[in-house]
Amino acid sequence: MTTQTQLLRFDPQAARRRASVTGWLVRAVFLLPVLALVLWVPHHSDDWTNDAVFAAIYAMVGLSMNVLVGYTGQISLGQQAFLGLGALTAANVVHTGYNAPDPFTFALGMVAAVGVAAGAALLLGAIALRIRGLYLALVTLVFGSVTADAVFTISSLNGHDAGVSAYRPTAFQSDYGYYLFALAMVAVCVYVDVCVRRSKVGRGLIALRDNELVASAFGINVLGYKLLGFVLSGAMAGLAGGVFAFWSQEFSDKDFTAAAGFNKALIFVVMVVVGGLGNRTGVIAAAAFFALVDPLLAGLAHHTGWLSFYTDHKQYISNLIGAGLLLQTVIFNPGGLGQVLRPFTRWFAGHPLSFHDEHGDAAAAALAGGSNVRA
Amino acid sequence: MHVVADSFSTQINLLTPLISGIANGAAYGLLGLGLVLLYKSNRIFNFAQGEFATVAAIVAYVFDRGTGWVPKVPYFLAILIGIVAAVLIAVATERLVIRPLFHRPRVVLVVATVGVALFLIGVEGLLPYPQTASLRTISDALNVQSYVGRVDGVVVLDQDVAKLIALAVLALGAFLFFRYTATGTAILAVSQDTTAARVVGISVERISMTTWAIAGLLGGVAGVLLAVPPAGSVTPGSITGLTLTVAFSAAVLGGMTSLPGAFVGGLLIGVIEAFANADNGFVPGLNSLPTAQAEVAVAVVLLVILLVRPRGLLGQEA
Repeated sequence: MTTQTQLLRFDPQAARRRASVTGWLVRAVFLLPVLALVLWVPHHSDDWTNDAVFAAIYAMVGLSMNVLVGYTGQISLGQQAFLGLGALTAANVVHTGYNAPDPFTFALGMVAAVGVAAGAALLLGAIALRIRGLYLALVTLVFGSVTADAVFTISSLNGHDAGVSAYRPTAFQSDYGYYLFALAMVAVCVYVDVCVRRSKVGRGLIALRDNELVASAFGINVLGYKLLGFVLSGAMAGLAGGVFAFWSQEFSDKDFTAAAGFNKALIFVVMVVVGGLGNRTGVIAAAAFFALVDPLLAGLAHHTGWLSFYTDHKQYISNLIGAGLLLQTVIFNPGGLGQVLRPFTRWFAGHPLSFHDEHGDAAAAALAGGSNVRA
Repeated sequence: MHVVADSFSTQINLLTPLISGIANGAAYGLLGLGLVLLYKSNRIFNFAQGEFATVAAIVAYVFDRGTGWVPKVPYFLAILIGIVAAVLIAVATERLVIRPLFHRPRVVLVVATVGVALFLIGVEGLLPYPQTASLRTISDALNVQSYVGRVDGVVVLDQDVAKLIALAVLALGAFLFFRYTATGTAILAVSQDTTAARVVGISVERISMTTWAIAGLLGGVAGVLLAVPPAGSVTPGSITGLTLTVAFSAAVLGGMTSLPGAFVGGLLIGVIEAFANADNGFVPGLNSLPTAQAEVAVAVVLLVILLVRPRGLLGQEA
């Protein structure tokens, strides 16, 4: 038995081995800087709170893309539309003039944001996912520009072009307080992601991502599961939109124009790929990176005297960074940031620190060429 | 008397959108041709096609003006240099990005083309040239009247006629290329079964590079014809942002696998757009943006065609 497991270079005892009390203490000490970065630094200044909330919103969008791209193998180029739909719905539900909404209305706004985005995803997916291939990418691309130009511009929904105010409830009045709420929403998305991944649904999704024909031969309802993945993804993006609406305290169609939205959609695709498809930690880290790269570079440019050049070319510079990281990832490092971070995340989870991970990452393996799905 | 006057005005109202629709549709068709070519051969959607076009337009613009160390060359030579630049970019894309990913799932390739588009937009944005400029039109360069004539008072521009002719010639040429030449057949063979194609002696690498070079050529021609006034400019990402989405819908409508389909689909989508926009207040509440109705119409056409006839008007399984 022992020799056999050694032959397979897999030791179930080692896989199950967890850290001792001292080991956990060491990990706790190393966790402190991470916690400080997430909780203490944003508390320090208003600018950093602002950046941190954006990182949280991006993380939610990243997780929503992760469900779609990582688990179902489809891509959406219209995720910003679900974000906008969520923001629009939340703002219109709670719109109470100049007063902060009571907690019930606030919760209702959030739920409605999720519901409307999920409904839109259901409608779109029901049509686009019927067809073999990557037509979802096209349909979502068109959906993105249509919602930006034809839905967000409807004047009764965008406060007659002046924006619909969405004040925060008194409990989250302070910026930092609201940031903690945003973090909680990220935690909800992570929890949903974990539940999906561990359930029959997640296994079904991954099976059909790897090979649709084989999956359907095993009795997996291909359309139903893909649709479920797409709706979940839309719902998470809608939640992120709700969080965004209450952060900026209004919905304005100027935040979601077609041109800006298209660029956002591309960045969303980039961040989920760079993070590592199907890898939660990697996707969250990449999302935070793409949310923070602009303020960090602006700070750097300010100190080196390049600020005016940077502000003029901001979008192009972030495009170049995103594209460079994306191409580097797909060509040389299919596992993405998640694969790079994996030894450390496993260590934090109580496993011994090891850079030789026999289990590997299923998603990375599939993307590296294990799958022969023909679109 | 009244009846005659009425029918006369109705005629003009129908003709104006028809002519502007065909002019725009030629643009969608030109971009759509490259999209169809790469779908037919690689089964991917190439999101960098719009940027191949922009690269051609920018290079042609710089050589036409002759700024800095770039010599000023005659207009048509500048256009040619622009198209060659687009071909080179497409070939570089194939060699550096597509070929290393050849055996990966299609979704990875599509994501990679998104990366190439982002990369090209970034590079174009950092280039030192006036980024809201437009290329000269052909009639400007030849110093002739800018329109061929009027049909019932509606001006028909030279440039639009040139687009239409280029579209028809390229669509027909590409169709004949796939039907009658050995290389064209080889491209189709590789798209259907890479291994089998290799077994019968086709160089898959060479075919892949040829395909992308042709896609770059089609994109380049589109770019130098589209980035002219009144509608177009050589702004980074503008062709991707404004035209590519509709070009995809046009290609789907015509059939993603049919080159003449891109021609038909492009013109149809252009005309549908123009008619949807003809009466700006047709859908109450939607008129805050001039293009909103056209966009909704295109989206509806796309969804309906995908639901009812996913292979498009002229598409087939090949």
